[in-house]
Amino acid sequence: MTVLQACEIAGVDIPRFCYHSRLSIAGNCRMCLVEVEKSPKPVASCAMPALPGMKIKTDTPLAKKAREGVMEFLLMNHPLDCPICDQGGECDLQDQSMAFGSDRGRFTETKRSVVDKNLGPLVKTVMTRCIQCTRCVRFATEIAGVQDLGMLGRGSGEEIGTYVERLMTSELSGNVIDICPVGALTSKPFAFKARNWELKGTESIDVTDAVGSNIRIDSRGPEVMRILPRLNEDINEEWISDKTRFFYDGLKRQRLNDPMIRGPDGRFKAVSWRDALAVVAEVIHQVKPSEIVGVAGKLSDAESMMALKDFLNKMGSNNVWCEGNGPSPNADIRSGYIMNTSISGLEKADVFLLVGTQPRVEAAMVNARIRKTVRAAQAKVGYVGPATDLNYDHEHLGTGPQTLKEIADGRHPFSSTLINAKNPCIIVGAGVFERNDKDAIFSVVETIAESAKAVRPDWNGLNVLLLNAAQAAALDLGLVPESGNSIESSKFIYLMGADDVNLEKIPEDAFVVYQGHHGDRGVYRANIILPSSAFSEKEGTYVNTEGCAQTTVPAVPTVGDARDDWKIIRALSEVAGACLPYDSLTAIRSRMRTVAPNLLNTDERQPAIFSYSLKPESRQEMSTVPFGTAVENFYMTDSITRASKVMAQCSASLSKK
Amino acid sequence: MGSVVRSAVKAIKEKGFGSFLRELRDEGYLTALLDGNLMQTKIHNIGATLVGVDKFGNKYYEKLGDTQYGRHRWVEYAAKDRYNASQVPPEWHGWLHFITDHTGDELLLLKPTRYGLEHKENLSGEGDQYIYHSKGHSLNPGQRDWTRYQPWQPTKA
Amino acid sequence: MAHLMKNLKVPPNSTSREEARKRTFDFFRLACRSIPNIMEIYNLDDVVTPSQLRSTVASEIRKNAHVTNPKVIDMLLFKAMEELKNFVDHAKQRHHVIGQYVVGRKGLVQDLGPKDEGISNFLKNFYSSNYS
Repeated sequence: MTVLQACEIAGVDIPRFCYHSRLSIAGNCRMCLVEVEKSPKPVASCAMPALPGMKIKTDTPLAKKAREGVMEFLLMNHPLDCPICDQGGECDLQDQSMAFGSDRGRFTETKRSVVDKNLGPLVKTVMTRCIQCTRCVRFATEIAGVQDLGMLGRGSGEEIGTYVERLMTSELSGNVIDICPVGALTSKPFAFKARNWELKGTESIDVTDAVGSNIRIDSRGPEVMRILPRLNEDINEEWISDKTRFFYDGLKRQRLNDPMIRGPDGRFKAVSWRDALAVVAEVIHQVKPSEIVGVAGKLSDAESMMALKDFLNKMGSNNVWCEGNGPSPNADIRSGYIMNTSISGLEKADVFLLVGTQPRVEAAMVNARIRKTVRAAQAKVGYVGPATDLNYDHEHLGTGPQTLKEIADGRHPFSSTLINAKNPCIIVGAGVFERNDKDAIFSVVETIAESAKAVRPDWNGLNVLLLNAAQAAALDLGLVPESGNSIESSKFIYLMGADDVNLEKIPEDAFVVYQGHHGDRGVYRANIILPSSAFSEKEGTYVNTEGCAQTTVPAVPTVGDARDDWKIIRALSEVAGACLPYDSLTAIRSRMRTVAPNLLNTDERQPAIFSYSLKPESRQEMSTVPFGTAVENFYMTDSITRASKVMAQCSASLSKK
Repeated sequence: MGSVVRSAVKAIKEKGFGSFLRELRDEGYLTALLDGNLMQTKIHNIGATLVGVDKFGNKYYEKLGDTQYGRHRWVEYAAKDRYNASQVPPEWHGWLHFITDHTGDELLLLKPTRYGLEHKENLSGEGDQYIYHSKGHSLNPGQRDWTRYQPWQPTKA
Repeated sequence: MAHLMKNLKVPPNSTSREEARKRTFDFFRLACRSIPNIMEIYNLDDVVTPSQLRSTVASEIRKNAHVTNPKVIDMLLFKAMEELKNFVDHAKQRHHVIGQYVVGRKGLVQDLGPKDEGISNFLKNFYSSNYS
């Protein structure tokens, strides 16, 4: 423990720039100088180990003078452009110069200036403002795992750069904006858009992947201005992925704002809610119950999925599922679809086996945890799937299920690594759900887990890494289709924000209702559009991949004439004459309690009670088709991110071809 | 003065009396009888060099030598009845006000094509003045139903 | 100041209902005469016609048809005069006119016809807005 950490525990806050609790110690800003008894000079507290009997003085004239001197040196070459700086108001240098700096400067020479670097479409650089704390360099190498940033030159010629002109190719690059104590690295999409003190912060949940990162949505009036991470040690620590941070401009584009009906000429016409619901209610009574199909989208909240399932059940259909869960999902045994180790539990593992999953693009925050473990504990990573670029050392074992079979039979060299591991951790990607031989693959994985003793009372190392925010809640609620190919024989399809279902499989004469917030793929096949609110505009429960239920909070009002998802279904049920018995969020939640009580325990991870051993034996044959990539483009995975301009820029300039 | 009469007689001989009168009117000599400013400019023009004519038809004269310093560059506006200083386009403004010795025609060659609005004279008081109306203002019809989000448009059938 | 107050004349109260009635009609005429001016200064041509505004004024007056006390009528007329003057003086803004006298106090959608009978409160709220 260092002196600075000791002081923090004792409740004394020492000013610092370069020190960051999640990064290695650099000790180069010298802001944390304190006086230590029997030491002739002030000591940099962030780098000095705390020793027994040490007497530390943080408030003496010497320490104050030292800070003031450091501050004066830092401000010497720092431009006086706070009025036009985006960091203004949340700037460490600004705050600390108010608290510890001198009231005047003695510097009369000209200031140094540095050429700005181009780090891509997300991070804006004003390198003259840089104080060389090297937090970003350490973040890039240690946490993001890219060697892109570095320090060039010495003395007053010292500058942060990318050595040669190149972009920062990391899915976590946005976090350097947060850790930069000054305005050298700021958000490019947010540049000059708003001041931080005019923003209203709403603590919410990210829905672009299954991690459920905790975010703060900063809004001004009816507009989401930016998204920042919120500290949650169990899920995302204090980082978020670039997709989470920058997709928000998609919330302002391609929005559905009026109910629309496709006329006989194939054109959409805006109608009132009353007419739209009447049409849907009329059509749903004209088809056979078995021909009604409902698909929940990847951004659906648990409340609306519950309402959708209840409504379609009342209409006599049982074909409701959530996209991404495959044709025959296993919703019976909870340990079969959640991350049993938990995200923070990954840090205890010493061997990872990734089966058909590329966590770097599927769940960037989980990948950051794995990388943290690999760095801290030298954990070994074995990977089965198509060749991919993980940002840590890994062994590419094979591409298809045969490799799994070899590991299960003990014929593969990696199986001995697994068996010798103390806490082996197996992660199966949710892309496997779409495969026909899914049960066989899971039973092989369970054999591997058994031989490696991955599931013990004190350790559960058998995990599934889900792809979408809605998946876990859908399975908790039992959104399972009656038959795998119900969509081909359907006459009435209710798409609740589902854009990635096989739209071409829908029969020509089927009536498609699309309820969603963005004009994305599903809209073009729809016969009727019901506009709903996006996750930033409604209150909804989401379960992340480790089984932790969290709720979003409305940050901005809905656009146009849109309504909350569950309200649309509730209203439709009344118009259709099969009224659902709840008309408030509390009532719908108490209905959810009877189906899946864990959804009500928000912000608390509910581990699965029963393990896979209760599962019936599967008789499926494993095919030899190699595993595919579940996420083709990290930046564009759902309707909001596909509508976002920033994400389009990112995928154009940053995605590896 | 004699040269002026001589050239007038020569013009009548060449073009006939009718077209001479028309030219007199178009060039503002008739207006100048009532407008002292214009008359002074016309008199000033005698013996001066025509440096250039801009795209609006304003004529820029210079006369060095026996003119008072600081009054050796001037403009004769294309409009003879309602002229004002805002009719001078920016490229000639500098020359006219002794900011630069480059004429407007020279400076126009330096103007980037991709930006820069067409020069428009100040029409305040003429009923055609420019008034800024913000987004959503009732007098800004183009942006009357302006929203902070961009709605999806059902484009193709 | 004092002599100013002395000279300031407030019209005396109406002595009878007939007088109050006459004053009411006078006010209505005054309002009708200022409607073209109001239409022009608030740019109302594309949202409302003069006859609609006239009927709005008339209905605002009829709202108080039950009032019989001439003193109360005088007070109401005073308030109406105040409101009219605010509009004529451009002391209000366009959205005030539209919100109060064009769109009406119940919002744009006012088709609470017989088809809405027998539906739940939830559905009624649902049709009107997302927040209720």
